[in-house]
Amino acid sequence: MDMEVSRSWRDPELWVKALPSVVLQTTCFLAPLVMTFILTFQKTQNFQLNWTWSLATWTDVFTKPHYWTILGHTLFMAVACVVVCIIIAFPIAYGLATRFKRLDNEIKVLITFAFITDATLKTFGWVLFLDKKGAANYLLAHLGFPAETVAFLFTDWATLLGMVYNLLPFAIFTIYLSIDNIDRSLILAAYDAGASKFRAFWEVTLPLSRPGIWAGSVLIFLLGVGVFLEPKVLGGGKSPMSAELIRQTFETRVNWPLGAALTLVLMVVAIFVVLLFSRVAGMRRAGA
Amino acid sequence: MSKNWYSDLPQYYQRQIKAMGLDEAGMNRRRMLKGMAGAAGVAMLGLNTRQAQAATQMTYMCWEGYNDPRIIDPFNKANDTEISFDLIVDSPGGFAKLQAGASREVDLVSSDMPWITRMGPAGLALELNPDDYKDVYADFYDQFKPPFEPLMNEGKTIGVATRWGWVGPCVNTDVTKPEVWKTYDPVFDPANKDKICVMDWGDWPILPMALHAGINPYEPLDEKQLNEVRLVLRAMFKNTRTLVGDLTQAQKGLLDGSLLGCIGAGSYLTSAVRKQGHKNIMAVVPEPKNGLKQGIIWVEATAVLKESDQPDLSQKLLKHVVSKDAAHILALLDSTCNVVTNKAVESRFTPEEKDILQMDYMWTAYDNSQMHRIAPNIDEMLAIWQEELAAAQ
Repeated sequence: MDMEVSRSWRDPELWVKALPSVVLQTTCFLAPLVMTFILTFQKTQNFQLNWTWSLATWTDVFTKPHYWTILGHTLFMAVACVVVCIIIAFPIAYGLATRFKRLDNEIKVLITFAFITDATLKTFGWVLFLDKKGAANYLLAHLGFPAETVAFLFTDWATLLGMVYNLLPFAIFTIYLSIDNIDRSLILAAYDAGASKFRAFWEVTLPLSRPGIWAGSVLIFLLGVGVFLEPKVLGGGKSPMSAELIRQTFETRVNWPLGAALTLVLMVVAIFVVLLFSRVAGMRRAGA
Repeated sequence: MSKNWYSDLPQYYQRQIKAMGLDEAGMNRRRMLKGMAGAAGVAMLGLNTRQAQAATQMTYMCWEGYNDPRIIDPFNKANDTEISFDLIVDSPGGFAKLQAGASREVDLVSSDMPWITRMGPAGLALELNPDDYKDVYADFYDQFKPPFEPLMNEGKTIGVATRWGWVGPCVNTDVTKPEVWKTYDPVFDPANKDKICVMDWGDWPILPMALHAGINPYEPLDEKQLNEVRLVLRAMFKNTRTLVGDLTQAQKGLLDGSLLGCIGAGSYLTSAVRKQGHKNIMAVVPEPKNGLKQGIIWVEATAVLKESDQPDLSQKLLKHVVSKDAAHILALLDSTCNVVTNKAVESRFTPEEKDILQMDYMWTAYDNSQMHRIAPNIDEMLAIWQEELAAAQ
């Protein structure tokens, strides 16, 4: 007979067990968030915070279109990064989990090294490679290509390249874990039932690796909306993304209420996009 | 022998308490923080005994370079101090940090002059008595001697100028002639599309462009003038290859010729490259346009925090930073080289060092430049910058 565990808010044991987590969440997450929200209703004067209640910051946010242009661009780049990362990461993770089992430890170590190498170093490395006078053009020129064949540094393409390069390991590892956990007997059963390799992959492997794809996508999307190094260094700063806008607002303009408001807008929109995507994916699963 | 609050503790702890300066004046918040920082430092880093036993702990917020051991160690030795550093990467950020509460821990600040001056009305900086600095100012160039109005707030001196330089086009003379840059016109020349670099350093690229548009950004601006600033920034972005926040990217581009000119920087960018032997990289100042000087003189200054619990030592450190010995080191750092306000240092420079610093050009640059100070409408101009940058993408 199953013992049903009582879980009521009147249960003192539940309160005691939840207390550390509640205290931690309240002090480290909720309280700063509330303070950030309060900050948005203050004003600055002569680069100093003036504790006067005002809606000026929010009026500014909702009336100046350029904030939303930059936010839209940020979301677009983050989604593009997710798509490219998943497309690249899936075959790599699939190969690691199925075809290169013998070498997967060595390959994982190599990927981990790329993962733990400083992103600043890697990003500046790309500048040296992609520059007009960089290594890529030097090599191509020696192979007979016209001068400056590689000319996409300081464009959105370069930003995307940097984002994908820096965030790809997140997708590889989440998808790899997902594929690695698939029960092989399910795939063998599909073969026994007459499925081709592609059909077994399509009907069994891909659906069962969906949690990894989803987790990787969310991770990359949320990290992607927060990037500032890649648009600054590889994108040439000409297509700023939200993180850079927020940095500029806090640091250069010393306008903390506006910086706080832009931070909250970015958070809310990013969470909304994740929830929307989650709902759409859930509906598709339910319909399937 | 009088009994104090720590007499009953073992000798070892008593020595540590004395070393942290917690023995006599009691334990206020500031001392507590400094003591904790010192104790943490000792515990975590295993600092040597001499440092742990320094009588006074001080905190110095400054640009990298001011913390050079050759400058700071002699002061520490002479005054039995241990100075910790809060290095800033941009002046507004440092100012914001002070406003957010760091002013309670910091004793001395070296930053860009307008931000030092802003510390006056913000109630952060100690007002200095120029008479106390007579011996310091005696060695200064006349241009930076008191009354030095850009560093004053309501008639009171807020800080002492330390280093300076000029903002103007930075060019590689192997790929362009300095004469071409007697105006900012090449920035807008379609032939130079994708060859112009802009330093993304807050107001630095905005102010020269405003001057080029015939607007003096150091005066209050009306809507029409702000619109002129908007138009000139819009035009600038059309030709811009990259906005860089990092000096090395701009230096690399100038050296390899992929960038024709860099806007929003100046001697600060070129001097370090010149020190490495690349004398073809130089910072020039355009000639006055319709009577409006087109260059900008930037000045770094040092101020003492009002809340410092060591005001005398802090002022002593300030005097040390602008002294002949320290100023000579400060002028020729590895990361950047700049002229200093101390004229007496000139006698120490070799001809090579003078060439690195473009000292034969510095007064030409000075004469053709505005003195950088608080621009009344800078926030509007920064907002315009953000708007036009977003529109350009």
